[in-house]
Amino acid sequence: MFFSNLINQNSLLIRLKIRLSRLLLEPSFLIGSALVVILSYLVIAPIVSIFSNSVSLTMMDAMLSGSKDGEFTYKYIDRVFTSSISEKIFWTPLMNSLTVSFFATLIALTLGLILASLVTSTDIFGRKYLGFLLIIPYMLPSQAMATAWLTMFKNRKISGPPGMLESFGINPPDWLAYGPLPISICMALSYFPFAFLLFSSSLSKIDMQLEEVASTFGAKTKAIWSKIILPLLIPTTMSVLLLTVARTLGTFATPYILGTPAKYNLLSTSLYSSVRSNESGVVPVLAIVLSLIGVMLLLVDIWVVRKWQRFVTVGGKGIKRKPSKLGIFRTPTTIFAWIIFLLAAFGPFVVLALSTLMREPGNFSFSNFGLAYWTGVDVPGMDQPGIFTSPEVITALKNSFLIAGSASIICGVLGLLIGYAVVRLPGTLISGFLRQISFLPYLMPGLAFAAAYLSLFAVSRGPIPALYGSLSLLILVMVVTYLPYASRSGISAMMQVGPEPEEAGMVLGAGFWRRIISILAPLQKSAFVIAIILPFITGMKELSLVVMLVTPGTELLTTQSIRFLDFGYTQLANGTILIIGVVVMISVLILNRVTKTNLASGLGG
Amino acid sequence: MSEIKLNSIIKNFGGNSLAVDNLSVTIPSGEFVCLLGPSGCGKTTTLRMIAGLERPDSGEIFCGEKIFFSSKTGEYLKTEKRNLGLMFQSYALWPHMTVFQNIVFGLDIKNKTLIEKEQRFEELEKLFQLKNLKNRYPSELSGGQQQRVALARMLAVNPNLLLLDEPLSNLDSNLRLEMRAELKRLHQTLGCTIIFVTHDQMEAMTLATSIAVMNKGIIEQLDKPMTIYKKPKTLFVGKFVGSPQMNIIDLNQSEELALSLLKKTNFEKQQVKTLGIRPESIKMVSKDQGDINSTIETIQPTGADWIVGLNILGKSIFAISSEQPPGIEREIIGLSFKLDGLHAFDNKDQKI
Repeated sequence: MFFSNLINQNSLLIRLKIRLSRLLLEPSFLIGSALVVILSYLVIAPIVSIFSNSVSLTMMDAMLSGSKDGEFTYKYIDRVFTSSISEKIFWTPLMNSLTVSFFATLIALTLGLILASLVTSTDIFGRKYLGFLLIIPYMLPSQAMATAWLTMFKNRKISGPPGMLESFGINPPDWLAYGPLPISICMALSYFPFAFLLFSSSLSKIDMQLEEVASTFGAKTKAIWSKIILPLLIPTTMSVLLLTVARTLGTFATPYILGTPAKYNLLSTSLYSSVRSNESGVVPVLAIVLSLIGVMLLLVDIWVVRKWQRFVTVGGKGIKRKPSKLGIFRTPTTIFAWIIFLLAAFGPFVVLALSTLMREPGNFSFSNFGLAYWTGVDVPGMDQPGIFTSPEVITALKNSFLIAGSASIICGVLGLLIGYAVVRLPGTLISGFLRQISFLPYLMPGLAFAAAYLSLFAVSRGPIPALYGSLSLLILVMVVTYLPYASRSGISAMMQVGPEPEEAGMVLGAGFWRRIISILAPLQKSAFVIAIILPFITGMKELSLVVMLVTPGTELLTTQSIRFLDFGYTQLANGTILIIGVVVMISVLILNRVTKTNLASGLGG
Repeated sequence: MSEIKLNSIIKNFGGNSLAVDNLSVTIPSGEFVCLLGPSGCGKTTTLRMIAGLERPDSGEIFCGEKIFFSSKTGEYLKTEKRNLGLMFQSYALWPHMTVFQNIVFGLDIKNKTLIEKEQRFEELEKLFQLKNLKNRYPSELSGGQQQRVALARMLAVNPNLLLLDEPLSNLDSNLRLEMRAELKRLHQTLGCTIIFVTHDQMEAMTLATSIAVMNKGIIEQLDKPMTIYKKPKTLFVGKFVGSPQMNIIDLNQSEELALSLLKKTNFEKQQVKTLGIRPESIKMVSKDQGDINSTIETIQPTGADWIVGLNILGKSIFAISSEQPPGIEREIIGLSFKLDGLHAFDNKDQKI
């Protein structure tokens, strides 16, 4: 009896020894386990917190009703779905959101498909440049289009300097200036490059031989398109459709700028105004609804992609499709494509720039131009310093760089670490868990995620202090939101390199650090730079994620531009947006240098 | 130089079956052993466990006196400390290092001086004909050159044991022949133990001093190449080694053919489940002259031989002969069977 116990104990010790040696000898285990702990808290805790907050009394309501803080209640769920104000805070915004999403997606999809076909497969004039130029709207912050629209079509309904048309003596009607029409158009113009990118890449992946086979049967170009190419684009179309709807639902800037004056609320703006008007009890409920819609759309997308897998054509010999001749349509289609570019990219830029250079809107006399809004100390008629002299802009600029910069560096490092752990520990629980959890934030719209962070970090919990009002909260929420992209590119970068280069070093006697320094790091240099610049670009443009979390002193350029708009300082807002645009463009150019390829493909996520 | 011993190795990747299933084998020092088997049979896993890149779930691995791994005592020697050479199917040359940097990497780790590194590089440069390639990057080399650089990198540190994972599969057929000769010469000059993984039976037959045929995580037979071919212990080994494949005749399905084969032997009919006959043991003669008649279906001349597809009452088999067959397609000829290529297997697919 005693003897067999001894043996059992002994074998247990040995198993423990094997486990331990594995843990200590293979740093991927240590890295992986550490990541599991950190990510569990950063990703799962906010989600848990938002669910529990949706059924607990807020401190304020508890005090008013004399109950205990955090008591279980269905009050907020009732309020959102069935109460007398549910119409105002939920049902109408839901309908509005769906309407706007529908039209915006429809326009974006059509534009994307037509332009992608023209640029990839026809002899349209300037196709080489269009491929790049049509992506520019994607790089502009989403409020650029909306503020440009406002600068152009604004009427006396809201305060501030007159709109451009107004100063020409034309008074734009309300339906043109605010509400569903401009919101749909602006969103469509902001998001069509996404459709354009996906369609272009699908079109260039279709094997030429598939078309050549058809032409041996005597099919003409028209028949080839309707019978072969377009059907092959069905899966891409579905993806574009669902993802664009998901994006439009989560967009905050456009409906806030163009909808608020007409009291036209979408789910996103309703959520925001609930936060601002101290209706904090319903915030978690609205955020959950918003995320559920997002999750649903993405799950459908994943399902569609799986189901249509059989349509995925494996690239043939990579022969480029010969551009087909458009004949008499060549000039009209060219004009069409360039007009879209002018409207979506060049136009907003010019409108924004002009508005900051003209003292009085609409007056094109030479003496009216000046840099007062940029460098003035006390701009007449506004009692505000100019953009470069405004302490608010300087602070926001610093914050934006600090927040987007640190978030992107942390994201880049985390992404590669996750990639390392996932690829080096195939088939283990750690690997699978890391993959799943780093993807999870992708399912939640930024606004909903921000609401979750708001509810988690508003008060201190255990060793973690209350972070609300600090820059670190903004950095944290950005890191977690961009993690899906970072980890995806980290995993694929590590996959591409594979374990072999490192194993070859191992066999020759190189230890962990040696392998990292002389083998892995040089091989992943450019992947790392990309993994930092991409989140940086997104971070510089980010609004919906941070708008609820900023406080005076932690404003970013994007949120500061919204503040300026709130106060009617249109020119300052426009200037701020231009600064963001310039920073983003420079980052894009650096990225192009690093990757030596067309950046277009990288922004697809 | 030391023998490699694997003892009751089990490795599970979480699939339905074990990747390596209770495998025990001893590889004597100085042998050139080939692990041969279809993809997914566990041969590469076995090699990687010897290299220390995978850990067995249980079992022991020894290299001479050294314990590489033991689940009994919990010992595990890191790959870095095993002093072996491993060559990957993809060669795994580091793309950011020149040929010189790649080859002397192992010496770098051992903190050798530049003079020592230059010296060793010159030796290897001669051995593997790498003149003028010193400062090139791997992407600027041809497949054959890359392969030689990978070999040189592996040998730079004088390992006790060489492990090669399908090193020839990325080469075209001419280069492959050349590299086979090179590897054989290398084994003769170095005299070290080499374990070689391949799914190509031709490579295994021509290179190895002994072959371990693997299937579903176990070694079905470990023998000298010609023994493997002449005396397959299992149906799987018989089928896997040889091209064209051994003809397999199921007693329940092609009774007439089977009976005419059995007549020539003293196997008990009740014991036998399948018979196998090598294509070269089927002699083609004129109609009614042999043991049985058959129809010619196809004739494939290879230059040196004729591979003839035959049909006996609905059962298709292949014969190979260095003489022209005594008929053309759709004609009936006779067949006579030679006993040396005839094998019988029982219902557990073991040789009788």
